[in-house]
Amino acid sequence: MFIEIDMDSEVPIYIQLMNGLIEAIANGTLQTGNTLPSVRALASDLGINMHTVNKTYRELEKKGLVQIIPKSGTIVQQRTVDEAKLQQFTHLIRPMMAELLANGLTEEQVHQLSSDIMISIKEGDQ
Amino acid sequence: MTIALLLAIATFIIIIQAAIPYLLKPTIVFGVTIPNGYTKNEKLLFYKKMYASIVFIIGILTITAFMIWAMNAKPLEEKMMISGVAIQFAILILSMALYFVFHAKTSKLKTENQWGANLKQVRLVDIAARTADEMLPFTIFLLPMVITIGLIIYTTIHYPSLPELIPTHWGIDGQPDAFTEKTPFSAIALLLILLIMQGMMVGINELTKRSGIKIQANRKKKSRAQQLAFRKYSSWLLFATALLLTILFAFLQLMTIHENIGGTAIVLALPIAFIIIIFGMTAVYAFKVGQGGARLDVQITEEEVEGITNFDDDQYWKLGVIYVNKDDPSIFIEKRFGVGWTVNFGNPISYLIFFGPLLLILGISLYL
Repeated sequence: MFIEIDMDSEVPIYIQLMNGLIEAIANGTLQTGNTLPSVRALASDLGINMHTVNKTYRELEKKGLVQIIPKSGTIVQQRTVDEAKLQQFTHLIRPMMAELLANGLTEEQVHQLSSDIMISIKEGDQ
Repeated sequence: MTIALLLAIATFIIIIQAAIPYLLKPTIVFGVTIPNGYTKNEKLLFYKKMYASIVFIIGILTITAFMIWAMNAKPLEEKMMISGVAIQFAILILSMALYFVFHAKTSKLKTENQWGANLKQVRLVDIAARTADEMLPFTIFLLPMVITIGLIIYTTIHYPSLPELIPTHWGIDGQPDAFTEKTPFSAIALLLILLIMQGMMVGINELTKRSGIKIQANRKKKSRAQQLAFRKYSSWLLFATALLLTILFAFLQLMTIHENIGGTAIVLALPIAFIIIIFGMTAVYAFKVGQGGARLDVQITEEEVEGITNFDDDQYWKLGVIYVNKDDPSIFIEKRFGVGWTVNFGNPISYLIFFGPLLLILGISLYL
């Protein structure tokens, strides 16, 4: 799967890269137990600093999506959702949802939007 | 014989040098990133044609003059050799000078027309590309080294029966033409040099493997396939070179140990065959594969994506030829003008790779 980094964007590179990798996990390109490309390989392919990729991997680890095992690589973790995580997601989505509604979107439009996004993530960037 | 060989080499250099603009990716013209949509600009195409024609015509005129001179004046072999090599260098210098002229012209054209100002610059990575990379593993490169070590041991065993004078230089006819006194060091110096070169090749293979797989933003599938093929063929070419070099050096060494090993025919044929095969392989590689796989025909149809272009990294290319980027962890990087790889001078390891083996080989030669 291809990950595109927009060099003109205000979103930092490490976040763009993180979002791309999360999508890859979401659509099954990267499955539980898979190893992510090495920091050096990913940084070389993009021609960016290794610290940037390192930061992305650490953020992913913080989110519990991967585990960094020194010398053997970064491995996609078994995904679990507990009460705490659900609450965390609610906090994350709530302001966005509110913004949509505040802009006058109907409930149906919000549903439509979310299912469209879901489909495009699942299809991936094949 | 010498003149035929000199002419063949000079012609080869002229053809490759003249063809360079056409062996590259269309998006990099004279070391300048050209956004998609402008690559077929008339002026750019004219620049490429001009460069190729000037190199080709001046080159051919020069070697014709050389041939006429050599035929009529019948100079000494040595004098002819020096002039022949001088011509080769002259062609290289001419093409380099022309390159700088057109590099400046192309840069100017790009700034004046503000090419790509309205395009979004992106960088692309394929997270699965590494698993599809088919570059040769370093273990294969160790095989020729094993042969060399075997030969060192073999030479040590036969040391007492070695001649008192050890050849250190061979003519184009495969006959030794310079010698040094026999010492344990001079007996294996040739093999040590071979070992350094083989080691260098393992290093090049490993480091090019670690270098970035560069995917073009608006034709990602095609460029991915071309990149992977380019890497694979580069690695094969390197291995073939290592193997041929081993055969040549091993043969020279065995000839020193057993004087009557090869007939005159083999002695004469071997270096010539070596040169012909190396040049042949390089030519096929340059014209069939092209820089970054640009000339490879890939059976992939995809729609070109509009509105985006590759990240313009011209700022890291000094004069369009020297790459200096401290952030990029790649040590080897694809050349912009020419087929093959160059090093990233933003990384201190590059200096070591660039000068280390050279100094070692020079050291051995001086010590002899």
